[in-house]
Amino acid sequence: MSNASASPPPTLFCLHFLGGSAREWEDTKRYLDPHLICIPLDLPGFGDAAHIARTSVDEMADYVVDRIAERGQSRWWIAGHSMGAKIALVIARRAEDGDPKLAGLDGLVLLAGSPPSPEPMSDDKRRDMIAWISADEKTRTLQAGAFIDQNTGAPLNEAARIAAIDDVLRADPKAWTAWLQEGSREDWRRRIGILRTPALVLSGSKDADLGPAAQICLMLPHLANARHVVIEGGSHLLPIECPKAVADLICEMRTLPIAVASDPACVLDSYASLIASHRVNSRLRTALAARASAGSAPYRPCVLDAVEFSILRALIDRVLPQSSDACIDIGARIEVRLSDGSGDGWRFADLPSDGEAYAAALRTLDAAARATHGIGFTALPDETKGALITAVAAGELPTVAGDLDGRQMMKWFEDLRSDAVRIYLAHPAALARLGFSGIGAGGDDVADMPGFSEFRIDSREPWEPIPEVEAGR
Amino acid sequence: MNLDSMRRYATDEVVDAVVIGTGAGGAPLLARLAAAGLKVVALEAGPNFDPARFAFDETLADEIYWTEERLSGGTTPEAFGANNSGTGVGGSTLHWGAFTPRADQRDLKLRTETGEGIDWPLDYDDLKPFYEQVEGFIGVSGPAAYPWDSQRRYPLSPVPRNAPARIMAQACEGLGIRVADAPAAVVSRDFAQEGGGTRKACINCGFCHQGCRNGAKTSMDVTYLPLAVAHGAEIRPMCRVHGTERDGMGRITAVTYRQDGTERRQRCAAVFLCAGAVESPRLLLHLGLANGSGQVGRNYMGHVATQVWGTFAGEVRMNRGYPSSLISEDMVRPADADFAGGYLMQSLGVLPLTFGNTVARSRGLWGPALTDYLARYNHFAGIGINGETLPCDANVLTLSDEVDAFGVPKARIDFGYGPNEDRLNDHATRTMTAIWEAAGASDIWVAQRVAHTLGTCRMGRDGDTAVVDSFGRSFEVPNLWISDGSTFPSSLSANPALTIMALSLRTAEAFLKAR
Repeated sequence: MSNASASPPPTLFCLHFLGGSAREWEDTKRYLDPHLICIPLDLPGFGDAAHIARTSVDEMADYVVDRIAERGQSRWWIAGHSMGAKIALVIARRAEDGDPKLAGLDGLVLLAGSPPSPEPMSDDKRRDMIAWISADEKTRTLQAGAFIDQNTGAPLNEAARIAAIDDVLRADPKAWTAWLQEGSREDWRRRIGILRTPALVLSGSKDADLGPAAQICLMLPHLANARHVVIEGGSHLLPIECPKAVADLICEMRTLPIAVASDPACVLDSYASLIASHRVNSRLRTALAARASAGSAPYRPCVLDAVEFSILRALIDRVLPQSSDACIDIGARIEVRLSDGSGDGWRFADLPSDGEAYAAALRTLDAAARATHGIGFTALPDETKGALITAVAAGELPTVAGDLDGRQMMKWFEDLRSDAVRIYLAHPAALARLGFSGIGAGGDDVADMPGFSEFRIDSREPWEPIPEVEAGR
Repeated sequence: MNLDSMRRYATDEVVDAVVIGTGAGGAPLLARLAAAGLKVVALEAGPNFDPARFAFDETLADEIYWTEERLSGGTTPEAFGANNSGTGVGGSTLHWGAFTPRADQRDLKLRTETGEGIDWPLDYDDLKPFYEQVEGFIGVSGPAAYPWDSQRRYPLSPVPRNAPARIMAQACEGLGIRVADAPAAVVSRDFAQEGGGTRKACINCGFCHQGCRNGAKTSMDVTYLPLAVAHGAEIRPMCRVHGTERDGMGRITAVTYRQDGTERRQRCAAVFLCAGAVESPRLLLHLGLANGSGQVGRNYMGHVATQVWGTFAGEVRMNRGYPSSLISEDMVRPADADFAGGYLMQSLGVLPLTFGNTVARSRGLWGPALTDYLARYNHFAGIGINGETLPCDANVLTLSDEVDAFGVPKARIDFGYGPNEDRLNDHATRTMTAIWEAAGASDIWVAQRVAHTLGTCRMGRDGDTAVVDSFGRSFEVPNLWISDGSTFPSSLSANPALTIMALSLRTAEAFLKAR
């Protein structure tokens, strides 16, 4: 285990999965000590809190907020496993929004988390689980064992297995059923938005519904500053299955803090000098500086929800790929345009308004990815994304009920390319890549602007910028 | 432009005329009527800009484009906004390319010549004196001898050829295609503007479409509008006209409009509607005005404006210099044409966003191919055309069921090429591709594009088939005149603005004569 830093250990509040209790963290807690002070909590309806009937996501979060506030910690983290992750996300949102009871949140750990979206789970599975939890004792015991076994990779040791089954059986069936019928289906995408709190996302390679792909598609979109680690061989009950690996990764967050994302596109020095020179007018200089700094804070979308926004970003990464060390956040700037409603004077009559068209098109693309490949667009390998984009461009994306058809997708994709390119080429970093000299046509004195006087081929004036590809950058 | 000391009229004063729109259609007649001593008020939907604020930037130039949403349908939906629609005192001349060919006299009689399209209800000789008057007044730069009109003389020597023009000239010479320095409403030397101050010579910045900073490019706010104000016209910016009041005879007695959120009403004896081929018919349809012929909104036309692009080994830097500094009229009637009418060709230098937009939309590149291609910006040059579009029933402007912020339905424009446009386009594509091959371009590709906004309130000989007569006077509302691209019965192969200005002066003379 890595060495903890010199600062006093933060407190880690831990929330369990559906059918679990505070006990599921026992082994993990042992490994975390003394690097973090681990405080597992029972959620209402489960463990020692089985008698407390508060079943909605908001009510469960209220309950946890009170438990956190009782402790009065100045610096704390929160971990949520599966169902507990959704509660942890709600608490993080409240903390970021300034709830005085929640001051001091420093980190989020989400293990096989149930995302802000309605949880992906088949109706059959929901029905079965609701049926047996209220059945006779023998069926309950049998099915609880099967439930734990289905959610683990390698078999658990017998003591851990028995404890886990026992937790399932002492859960209030009403709370269990409420989560399956309602809590797990509550849509928190817009309310959660995008969180800034540094977040560690853990998924098990063998987890079915909430494995790596689901985390990429449904969880990471809500986290501006996240590290996603896939635990090989792990399934859904990560704190019980592999407590040491989990504890190590959590401790690592202290020594290897999660980088805060920002727009890394910076302008080549020589081009920055041109921008600063008398050849460039002040209004343009100010505008270029504003465009260069626009991506320095994490962006929270307004028109799209966080999941749609992540699909947009993933798509733009393929449509207009930039080098990772100099990447302009085009998606955020498109979203700004959608939310302030500024258009370019027209739209295809076949498409709805820009905001609606974007949301519908991104949903359509994602649905096509799921229909064709079984996972969402953002989790697809680049090559597979490319094949889908090729189909969109050709007007051949299969029609998904209720959203845009292939012809509409083709037109929307034309709009997207246009939006992306125009935002890209407005950025000084992109103009520098081109070696564009137009910005230097004249400064503030309109009676004395140099303009251009050389028009022959291969006749660069000494002050004119050289394109980055030719400058060898 | 400076409006500080202009004359002002009370809204309850019956002015001689209200002019709606201050672009190429409205400004010349505003100046002419004011010079004749009439009390005239121009209502402009957009703001009044100080040209010095224009900033050599394509994104900041959004302020001079009409960016309120229009719906584009049909088989070749047309882009609006920066492509062809302006706002502000000076209208679309704030962003126009200032490319000023005259109409070819054959284009005005296309029906007689080919049996296709429609004849204009006027002749070239009706326009010629007004062309000369406009060219002299605004200061058109052009070649000493114009290869396609031996009598034509331009008041100013041409602006320098940019690199794409040089490439195209050399290639055309080899192919036996005649070219010339383009007639451009950009002053190639300091120019004493009648009615205004001195317009500085063009500095060849290449930003004509983003607003000219020093007045070298003709826009109405540095030419006709200062003259109008000097003669007592009032120009009211940020005034959105949305209604009219009429008397029992059907004459318009007042124009209603919104300014700074306040409803206002200007009484008047006559109205000149000069809001362009989208906003003029949109207002008439919204008000149910002047449409006894059922022609309002019909026969919408954009020009076939296909471009051919190529990559050159040497640095072109096409942003430098007047963007379209070479013209060829050799294809106005190509010998091997299998279509009616023809097209003009021009060399193209285009700025990064506009070019990138064309690449993204028309070439359809995406992925690393897109990023890498854009990075070669300094090596591109293009040729483009402006080609005849025949009037067609399917091409029509209607009111959609969506409304704008003023409660007026948004315009829906359906536009598509017919067989004649397709054949013309094929011919032009072959011609331009041959030129670019001869020029040594690599990676040659074709960008489909539609330009300009024309038709929808066509002029004609009677009120059953047309909205206005050849002078722009409504057949139905006796004191309503229309002066803009909407009155064009056919598109012509020439870019429209010079003809719109000439027609505007002709309208003014007719109005003055009829008083």
